[in-house]
Amino acid sequence: MAAIRPEGFPVERGKIHEFANSLFDDHPLHHDLPLANAAGFRSVVAPITYASAASFFAEDGGMRLPEGVDLRFVLHGGQEFVFERPLIAGDLLTPTPGELRTYEKAGRRGGTMKFIETETVYQDEAGEVVVRVRSTIIQTGGVVEG
Amino acid sequence: MIEQQEIATARVGDRREFSVPDVNRSHFVQYAGAGGDFNPIHHDQNFAVGAGLPTVFGMGMFTAGVLARVPSQWFGPQNVARFAVRFTSRLWPGDTLTCRGTIARVYDVDGLTHIDIILEALSQKGETLIEGEATVRPWQPS
Repeated sequence: MAAIRPEGFPVERGKIHEFANSLFDDHPLHHDLPLANAAGFRSVVAPITYASAASFFAEDGGMRLPEGVDLRFVLHGGQEFVFERPLIAGDLLTPTPGELRTYEKAGRRGGTMKFIETETVYQDEAGEVVVRVRSTIIQTGGVVEG
Repeated sequence: MIEQQEIATARVGDRREFSVPDVNRSHFVQYAGAGGDFNPIHHDQNFAVGAGLPTVFGMGMFTAGVLARVPSQWFGPQNVARFAVRFTSRLWPGDTLTCRGTIARVYDVDGLTHIDIILEALSQKGETLIEGEATVRPWQPS
């Protein structure tokens, strides 16, 4: 993938409209710029899970997984967003990846499940933290469990 | 849109719920385009069958994004301070997705009302797809 410059995760009005529509989310603060302005916002407000789209702007495609992980046998275990403030179109956010934490558990139907936990902190151009995103990925080692 | 409510009027036990009938693979593809998850297990039938699955299934973050509408449309997207989910089952093409939230706690932090909401996403089979929580508090643009 080509790199975007300046580096970072640009929060964009058209992308917010598209992202919200893909979730059938018709809240006007995601779509209506004059309404968002009238409510005191510089631009439209991003949906809660919008930081998931940051992978578009990461040179590695956002797949922060250890070597050798087989996509056929990967499950998403959980996700958490903790906001200091909402993401607003026009923000340019810089992600700082935290430590990868991995641990293993016995699977319910045999085999070993490997848990991979990551945290990414997104800061704005003033250096203020906007949102922390925590993700848990589970590698099932060939046994795809429900 | 689900029915909005002022934070000040929130009470323990207040609920909101909506359903998305007949989710299909075009919805998964539209979310892939919007959200950037191009894992082929969510759009490529041969890849999914090769992984031992009957067909493609929805991204967890698609279902989570729809579920996030419960706290977001209820109290306003700018007022959601935390949203957390655990994925427990998969969403398949043809499923009806039901999302619900129930207020578990209303409390004060530094003079600001905070609301904890218990969230759940279910399929038409009654299977829980996601268990989640959200915290809402008033946030004003400066």
